[in-house]
Amino acid sequence: MSKKIVVIPEQCSGCRICELVCAIKHFGVNNPKKSAIRVVTTYPHPVMRMPIVCSQCKVPTCAQVCPVNALRRSNGIMQLDKENCISCYKCVDACPFGAIYVHEDCDLPIICDMCGGDPECVNKCPTGALRLIPESTLGEFKRLNNVLSYTQMKEIEFYEKGEKKVIHYAEVGKEEL
Amino acid sequence: MSIKSGYFNKHLHVDLTTGNAEHRDISDAFLEKYIGGRGFGAKMVWYNLKEHDFKVDPLGPENLLVIAPGPLTGVYLPSSGKTSFAAISPATGLYGDSSMGGSFGVELRQTGNDVLSIAGRAPKLSVLFIDNNETTILPMPELKGKSCLETEGIIKERLGTYTVHVATIGVAGENMVKFACVNADWGRNAGRTGIGAIMGSKNLKAIVVRGHNDLPTYDVSGLVTEADKAYKYMEEHKYFKMWQREGLMNVIEYANQKGILPTYNFKDSVFAKHDQINGATMLDYFKIGNSACFSCSMCCGNICLVKNGKYTGTVIEGPEYESCAMLGPNLGIDNFAAILYAVRLCDELGMDTISTGNITGAVIEGYEKGILSISDLDGREITWGDEEAILELIQKIADRQGIGDILADGSRRIIKKWPRMDKIILQVKGLEQSAYDSRAGISMGLAYATSDIGAHHTRAWTIAKEIEEGKNWSDEEKVNTVIYHQTLRPLFDMLGVCRLPWVELGLNEKHYQNFYKYVTGKEASLDELLELSNNIYDLTRLINTRLGTSRKDDSLPYKVWANPPLTGPNVGKVLSQKDFQKLLSLYYEKRGWDEDGIPPAGVERKFED
Repeated sequence: MSKKIVVIPEQCSGCRICELVCAIKHFGVNNPKKSAIRVVTTYPHPVMRMPIVCSQCKVPTCAQVCPVNALRRSNGIMQLDKENCISCYKCVDACPFGAIYVHEDCDLPIICDMCGGDPECVNKCPTGALRLIPESTLGEFKRLNNVLSYTQMKEIEFYEKGEKKVIHYAEVGKEEL
Repeated sequence: MSIKSGYFNKHLHVDLTTGNAEHRDISDAFLEKYIGGRGFGAKMVWYNLKEHDFKVDPLGPENLLVIAPGPLTGVYLPSSGKTSFAAISPATGLYGDSSMGGSFGVELRQTGNDVLSIAGRAPKLSVLFIDNNETTILPMPELKGKSCLETEGIIKERLGTYTVHVATIGVAGENMVKFACVNADWGRNAGRTGIGAIMGSKNLKAIVVRGHNDLPTYDVSGLVTEADKAYKYMEEHKYFKMWQREGLMNVIEYANQKGILPTYNFKDSVFAKHDQINGATMLDYFKIGNSACFSCSMCCGNICLVKNGKYTGTVIEGPEYESCAMLGPNLGIDNFAAILYAVRLCDELGMDTISTGNITGAVIEGYEKGILSISDLDGREITWGDEEAILELIQKIADRQGIGDILADGSRRIIKKWPRMDKIILQVKGLEQSAYDSRAGISMGLAYATSDIGAHHTRAWTIAKEIEEGKNWSDEEKVNTVIYHQTLRPLFDMLGVCRLPWVELGLNEKHYQNFYKYVTGKEASLDELLELSNNIYDLTRLINTRLGTSRKDDSLPYKVWANPPLTGPNVGKVLSQKDFQKLLSLYYEKRGWDEDGIPPAGVERKFED
C-alpha cells in the first residue's frame, strides 16, 4: 500500500519544525535552509501557511526533464541517484510545486525521500498539518469538511447525562418537501 | 571547560552615517560571560555609554541599537525563535530592550552573525540588507509613510524574493513616537521601550536578512533527544491543546476571574462584558488559523478575520492578551471586531499596543475628570467605548497631529504638560504599565517598580503565583520570587528562546542547561547560568543608576496607592506605601544594592572587559 505525505494548510501554524527536523535527519545540522520541505507564508490577502513538499507525482515532471535519468522511483518513492546527478537543477525548475530545493553548500538538489517511508516531518508536526495517509484515502478530509460545512446546517443544544452537547442537523424547507 | 560551538564568533557593526559595515571578532570569553540576546545588548549599550561619557540622546545618532539572537535561537528545541532589541530607550531615557518572536532572529543568525549593532544616522530613509556576508544600505525614500505590512511587501517585491525576513517600522517609528515598535514577519513585534523610534531616528525603515549558514551546534543528536523529551512533555500537558486553540487569549478569562484585567484605565479590574471579548468568542467567530514562532509547538499566536459588520475584512496575526486587554476593556470596548481593527491599526502604524492602550485610556479618563478640555482634544470628544474616536486618536498619535503630538512623546511628556495626569496615567520610569493589575498582589507591584525597563511584566510576572499560592507569603518569599523571576526570565532572553513553555506549561527549567550544553559544548549548571543572568541585571541597574535612577524612581503609579478597583474580587484593595517600602528595602538588601538602590562600586569592575 503506497502512502503519501498530505498537507492540510489550514492546520499549519508556520512553526517550521518540519524544516528543522528534515535538515537534521538528512544533513545532521540545525539549518532549515537544508530541508526538502518549506513553509510558504502569505499575508494578509490571502492568509496562508503551506508546507511545500514533494507530492510523489505518478507522472513526475522532474524525472522527465532529467537529462541523465537520475530521478527514478523505487518502492513507490522518488529517489535521486547521487552518483549520476549532474546538478543541472532542471528538476528544480520543472517541479510544478517548487518542491525541490537548492543550497549553496550542497552539490545536489534537495528532494524529499520520505525518510524511506517514515517521514520525520510528519512525525514531529505539532498541529497535524502534515499527515501520512494511504493513497486510496486521499481527499477524505475534504469530503468530511464539505459535509460539516453543509450550508443549511442547524444546531441545537441538549443535555445528556447532565453534560451539555450540540447536535447538528440539516433542515429541509417546506417548499422542498 | 569553555565553549566549543554554538556561535559564529562574529559581530556585525553597521554605521549608517558613513555607510560602513564591519565584521568584528568576538572572543570566547565574551560569549561565555554574556551568552547572547539581552546579555550582549546590555554589555554593548554600557560600553557605548562609557564611550560617550554617559551623554547619549536616545534619538541621537550615538545611540547604539543592538539586535541579538542567542546561542539557542533557531535550533531544534521548543520555541527557539526569539531575538532581543536593546538600546537606550526614548521612553525612559534608561536601558531598554524588547524581544521579538517569529523567524527574524533565526534568519539573522543564519547570516553568520551572533549580533548586529547599528549606530549613526542614514542621510536618507534607508533599508539595511544583510545577505549572508554581504551588507548593503539601500536608500529607499519612497517607503516614507508606508505601513509596516506594506513595507514588507514592497521590499520583497523590490528585492525579487520572498524568502527574506524583514523587520520594519511604520509611520509611528518614522515620526519617532516614543512607543513605536518594530514589526517582522507580518505581526511579530519588538513592542516595548520605543525601539521603533530609534530606528526612525536613524532613518532606518527596515532591516532585511537572508542567511543560509548552519547554526553551530556541538552535539546535534544529544540536542534532539533532549528537545524531543521537552516537546513530548509539552504535548502531554493538559493545557497544551487549549494553548493551541486559544493561545494567549485564554488569559482574558483568567484575568477577569481573578480581578487583574485592566478595565476603564485600571479604574476597575473586571469587565462586565468579558465574554464578548474572550478566547471562546474569538474561537467561535473570528479565528481562522494558528500562528507560531519558529520551532514552537504551542503556537500561541492566532489568526483572526472579521467576517461581518463594519470592520469586515480585517485580518490580523493575533490578538494576544495584552493587546486585547489594553485596547479592549481598558478603553471600554466590548466589540471584539473593533479590538481586532485597533490591533491591526497599531500593527500597521508600528505602535506598541500596550502603551497605546494605556495612554488612550488615560486620555479618556482625563477628559472624564475634566483634566483635559475639549480644546485639548482638538474639539473631538472621546468617551469609554467610543470606537471611532479611539481609532482616530490612535491615528493622530502616529501622525503626531494635534494632541497626538504630545501623546506621542509618552507618559512623561503628558504629565509635564498636564501635571494632574500624574494621578491618572499608570507608568513607571516613563514606560506605561502592561495589562496586569498590581493591586491584586504586591509582588507584582515590586516587579513593575524594579523592572529595568519600566512597568512591564517581562522581567517578573509574579501575579498569578501570588494569587494562586502566595496569600500567606512572607515579605522574604515575595522578594525572593520577584528576584528569581527577574533572573530566570531574562535568561530566556539571553539564550534566545521563549519563556512560555516554562511559564505556562511548567517545562522544567533544567532542560535549558542541557540545551545550552548540547549547543555550546560547555557544561554549565542552571545555577551558573542564572548567576550570569543575575550579573546582567546588575549591569542594567548600573546603567540606569549612572543615568540618574535611584530609589525614588522605583515607585508605582498613584492609582495603586489611592484608587481601589470598583468591583470584582479585589474590590477596595490598594497597596500600602509602607509595606511596599519595606519590601523594596529588603529587595535592595537581597540584591546587594544600597538603601538607595545603587549597586556597590565593585559591580562596575565586573564589566570592564
